Amino acid sequence: MNTTTPAEAPVFAVDGLWKVFGPEKAAARVPGSADATGLSATELRERTGCTAAVRDVTFDVRKGEVFVVMGLSGSGKSTLVRCLTRLIEPTAGSLSIDGEDVLAMDAGRLRALRRHRAAMVFQHFGLLPHRTVLDNVAYGLEIQGVGRGDRRDRAAELVAKVGLEGLEERRPGQLSGGQQQRVGLARALAADPEVLLFDEPFSALDPLIRREMQEEVARLHHEEGRTMVFITHDLAEALRLGDRIALMRDGRIVQLGTPEEIVGSPADDYVRDFVRDVPREQVLTVRTAMRPAAAGEAERGPALAPATTVVEAIEAVARSGGPARVVDHGRCLGVVDDAGLLAVVAGLPATPGRGVAA
Amino acid sequence: MRDAHPRRPLGRHGATLLAATTALAALTGCGAADMTRQSSPYAAAQGAKTVTLSVQSWVGAQANTAVASYLLEHELGYRVDTVQVDEVPAWDALSQGRVDAILEDWGHPEQEERYVRGKKTITPGGELGVTGHIGWFVPTWFAEEHPDVTDWKNLDKYADLLRTPESRGKGQLMDGSPSYVTNDKALVKNLGLDLEVVFAGSEAAQITQIKQFAKEHKPFLTYWYEPQWLFQRVPMTEVKLPEYTEGCADDPQKVACAYPHTPLRKYLNTRFAESGGKAAGFLKKFHWTKEQQNEVSLMIAEEKLSPQQAAKKWVERNENVWKPWLT
Amino acid sequence: MTATRTHTPPGTRPAGPARGRQSVDRPAGPRTAHTAAAQDRPRRPLAALAARRAFLVPMGVAVALLIPLAVVFPGAGSWPAALTADLSGPLGRAGDWIIDHRDSHPLFLYFFGHISNAVVVSVRAVYVLLLAAGWTGVTALAALVAWRLAGIRLALTCAAAFVACGLLGMWVPTMQTLALMAVAVAASVVLGALLGLAAGLSPRADRVLRPVLDTMQILPAFAYLLPMVLVFGIGVPAAVLATVVYAAPPMARLTALGLRGADAGVMEAAASLGATGRQRLLTARLPLARRQLLLGVNQAIMTGLSMAVIASVIGAGGLGDRVYQALASVDVGAALAAGIPIVLLAVVLDRTADAAGRRIGATPVPAREQHLLRRVFCGWYGRLLTFLVAVAAAVAGRVAGSSLWPGSWTVPLADPVNSAVAWMTGHLYSGVPVVGGTADWAARFTGWILDPLRSGLQAAPWWLLLLLACALGLLAGTWRTALTAVLALGAIGALGVWEASLDTLSQVLAAVAVTLVLGFAIAVGAARSARAERLLRPVLDVCQTLPQFVYLIPVVALFGVGRAPAAAAAVVYALPAVVRITTQGLREVDPAVVESVRSLGASRSQLLRQVQLPLARPALLLAVNQAVVLVLAVVIIGGLVGGGALGYDVVLGLAQGDLATGLVAGAAIVCLGLLLDRVTQPAKED
Repeated sequence: MNTTTPAEAPVFAVDGLWKVFGPEKAAARVPGSADATGLSATELRERTGCTAAVRDVTFDVRKGEVFVVMGLSGSGKSTLVRCLTRLIEPTAGSLSIDGEDVLAMDAGRLRALRRHRAAMVFQHFGLLPHRTVLDNVAYGLEIQGVGRGDRRDRAAELVAKVGLEGLEERRPGQLSGGQQQRVGLARALAADPEVLLFDEPFSALDPLIRREMQEEVARLHHEEGRTMVFITHDLAEALRLGDRIALMRDGRIVQLGTPEEIVGSPADDYVRDFVRDVPREQVLTVRTAMRPAAAGEAERGPALAPATTVVEAIEAVARSGGPARVVDHGRCLGVVDDAGLLAVVAGLPATPGRGVAA
Repeated sequence: MRDAHPRRPLGRHGATLLAATTALAALTGCGAADMTRQSSPYAAAQGAKTVTLSVQSWVGAQANTAVASYLLEHELGYRVDTVQVDEVPAWDALSQGRVDAILEDWGHPEQEERYVRGKKTITPGGELGVTGHIGWFVPTWFAEEHPDVTDWKNLDKYADLLRTPESRGKGQLMDGSPSYVTNDKALVKNLGLDLEVVFAGSEAAQITQIKQFAKEHKPFLTYWYEPQWLFQRVPMTEVKLPEYTEGCADDPQKVACAYPHTPLRKYLNTRFAESGGKAAGFLKKFHWTKEQQNEVSLMIAEEKLSPQQAAKKWVERNENVWKPWLT
Repeated sequence: MTATRTHTPPGTRPAGPARGRQSVDRPAGPRTAHTAAAQDRPRRPLAALAARRAFLVPMGVAVALLIPLAVVFPGAGSWPAALTADLSGPLGRAGDWIIDHRDSHPLFLYFFGHISNAVVVSVRAVYVLLLAAGWTGVTALAALVAWRLAGIRLALTCAAAFVACGLLGMWVPTMQTLALMAVAVAASVVLGALLGLAAGLSPRADRVLRPVLDTMQILPAFAYLLPMVLVFGIGVPAAVLATVVYAAPPMARLTALGLRGADAGVMEAAASLGATGRQRLLTARLPLARRQLLLGVNQAIMTGLSMAVIASVIGAGGLGDRVYQALASVDVGAALAAGIPIVLLAVVLDRTADAAGRRIGATPVPAREQHLLRRVFCGWYGRLLTFLVAVAAAVAGRVAGSSLWPGSWTVPLADPVNSAVAWMTGHLYSGVPVVGGTADWAARFTGWILDPLRSGLQAAPWWLLLLLACALGLLAGTWRTALTAVLALGAIGALGVWEASLDTLSQVLAAVAVTLVLGFAIAVGAARSARAERLLRPVLDVCQTLPQFVYLIPVVALFGVGRAPAAAAAVVYALPAVVRITTQGLREVDPAVVESVRSLGASRSQLLRQVQLPLARPALLLAVNQAVVLVLAVVIIGGLVGGGALGYDVVLGLAQGDLATGLVAGAAIVCLGLLLDRVTQPAKED
């Protein structure tokens, strides 16, 4: 997947964002108050009658990355993604897109944002049942006021792109779930937005179809490099698609990092518990498993890139029968041997620098 | 779902309302619209001259209307529409011109005062020729078996025989449609009778019940009136009430006397009377007897002929009677 | 895998759509009253405790308020005169004022006059058009439209229905009714849609409109007539407007329901694409509500048709007037001859609207797969072609010289029907061995049920009845329900028609009891056998659409004048809805539960008693509610056959132009309806 250059301005910059549901006045008082920081969700609800769905959330979405927000139901992730285009009005905090303050936008500018810059794909598709596939895909363009001929041409293009050729005149009710979500995806793509927002787009689908759709998204991202914000409660999906993952619990982000950081060094017990069943060898790279090269080791053995996963390294080590080198641009960063790799698989604390030789 | 934008549907509705009002105004033409001068939408369709007659619910009135309609249609070339309206509302309809004529009115002094002498929207059309009378009746066989029942003073003696499930343990005096002129409740009270007035609610219900009683040979006491075709089927004898004197029924709370004999009258809408041409002239001259009316009524009610067929039969047999009406 | 839909905490969403009764649709047509999904919360001990507190506190308040009142105004049963407002003076004067100023006051000249004028002009336009089309044109157009919408079967039904109207000698009245209906239904659809739009889009408008619409929905048609007559006088305008007022609420309710029930996900998707409020309404919310809108139109047609008949009492003319005239001469046959076209119109209009509804959302069959003839008639040119064919038929009819139905082509129906009725009344009235005649039944029903009930109610202290209403209201719903019930009953007392209202109430209760016993019994049978249900369906359809005026007379012939025939007519009218709702409720019991109980070896009656009836409870409650509302409507009309009480007062008000009596009785009926509806409301509001 693409690597990102942090120097570029973020697409979304979210800082100290709050969303509190409840009576308007009471809700406005919650952010920043002692209640909000100290109390659990239930206690807060009892004390103020409000529910804080998003609490003091800060993150950037970088250009071209797939930013995954993941958490269990009720963690506030769906509310968060809706705050990004103000489908839900945030209670406090700041939010900007390409440096432009979203919260300060008037209705017209906000519409322009939704029409041209950020399009959303929904869990339950949100298709218009009385329109054909083609007209559903063209719906966003129709709203923008694009002429009938133009928008149908564009829609036909996208229908083909998501692999629904020949189904243009069907109604959503006649399609399978996967096909419906392809329509939803095509509709979002039709406006050629800068960012795609996915709200658990595949959780209503069968596992096989889900896998297929994930590959479809990965392919799209690979081809177009479009920035994506992806909401999911499925860890495997998050790890598979995400460049970076924000893990949410009770409205807060408990950890934000690359898949490897999340799996390799969980921030707390909650995250640890969360990632316990993840096949670590498939996520962690040799960076985690390597140790400094002992004398002579830096010259021998197969060379591996630092992004190589542990499972691939195991294969290389097993083949060669000895430790393998981790080489980045011709420089040897360290070596991995069977003990280090096994420690990763076993979930033992990472060993870099320990210098244990079996 | 949750939505950032406040919606303002009312502004749009305001516009719609405005449009609707404008459309209404455009449709009806601006300025004043006097709805008391609108005729029935069914009138004069297809270019024919139409006369609208009110039919009251009793069959005698149907007979009048049937014969008048038949002659208007077949001799004078009008189209006739009939509307069934109760008596008092019929006056209002007549005043508004939704009905052109009432052929049988049993006396409504209050309405006469308002419309004929006050607004002058209604013009008297002369007498129908039939005299109406309201009274209390028992079956003739019963009166023959117990001759004293025909005096109101003896009615209490027979209260037991007249009892029904509806009469709350007293004798039943059956009244008919609420639209008819009646003092019965006050009469029963003021004469101190052991009777309960039970309203049949409509003449149809009352007739059905009377026929059923007759078939069962069960004695009954009922409010009834002449001329009425039912006498031919169920012979009934009147019960004498305290004699009618001028003004004895003026206070409806204190009334304790019989009903008067009323010459039945015709009334025409004033505009129709003035510009109704031959039809108006014909209706003013329409005049027949109690027997003639009953002949037609009976054909309608008992032989179940349609009013048109009954009228046709009667007209064929009585040319000498109706010829003068047309001149 | 279970999918969570949103992650916002519960209670933060706007209140869900379709809360409360989804469909207390007036059962004017076949296939109207469908069961609402009345949620029944499980009763946990804690909830029960809370419920008891919610019951006791308002009850205590009511007792505390009423006892002092009861002490101040003792009296045995009747409502204290000191708490009565006599409205006859002011109302009488108001009536006189209106009649005197109808042709001079600006309010009438510039407002009501124009409305009245518009009605007359439009009805006339439609009527003239229909007459111009002639029977050939009208029949051809109806058949073609039906064919386009549904298919050849409905087209034939349509044509047959119109031909039947002609054969019965009712062509012109049918056209008059059709013209009146067309205008009234169009107006009520527009009005209802606008109100529904307001209620569907603005929560505030919904809060204001909902109770009003709910109330209008339960009012007997008769209660609407007098105010209209008062303003517009006897005639078509009053009839049309009464019909509009009567038929608009179902449309408004269904529109609001449809708009509120729009799939939140779709609406959110539209918003996320940057749609403006208007775009969201026009491209998403309204199209999503199309089914409900069409159902609303259907309901408006059905209610409009039933009202068009009842409005004959105030000069609507047309078929209703023929029925009413036939009623006057005790001619059941003639009444039936005019009643059948009404039933036919109802069936044809209902089926057509239904077909149009089913077309929505269904995938159009690709043109190449369609029959050649259908292909010719699809699209806008198909519409044009339909129109042209109808015009051609009309012209052909004219040329043939029979634009109105030819007079000789009629079938006499009255005679055989009348002899059948005569036979029936002659043989069933009395002296039937063992079971006794219908007259005996009526006497027993009156003596053993109606009388004790009436005397009981009238003898009971008034404050006790208020407390009873309060308790029932609390059991059925919240303190608001109870308050409505108490206020409604109190208003009845204050209007000075306490005794008459209790008389009517006793008739309603007795008739409801009979209806429910019969209805549940029939429904249990029908739910078991699909064949029984199929046989029953047309009977129910006819019972529901046949104007009550038609069967009032045979009912009198069977049961004599009085309250018994009114109750019998009410049972006939309310039975179909009860049977239908109950059957559906019993059938919709979760088959998995039934299966599991069967597997435990439960007998049929055990299954019915322990599983089906308890699980169908929401439907049963809805059936009770419907029965109460429908019975009330007919018991009022029963004033025409000796039902007395409020019904008689309304009839009297109409017949004598006596506003004071009529309007007060009308208001009391409104209160009674409100009371009965609220305490039997199946869905609890939370």
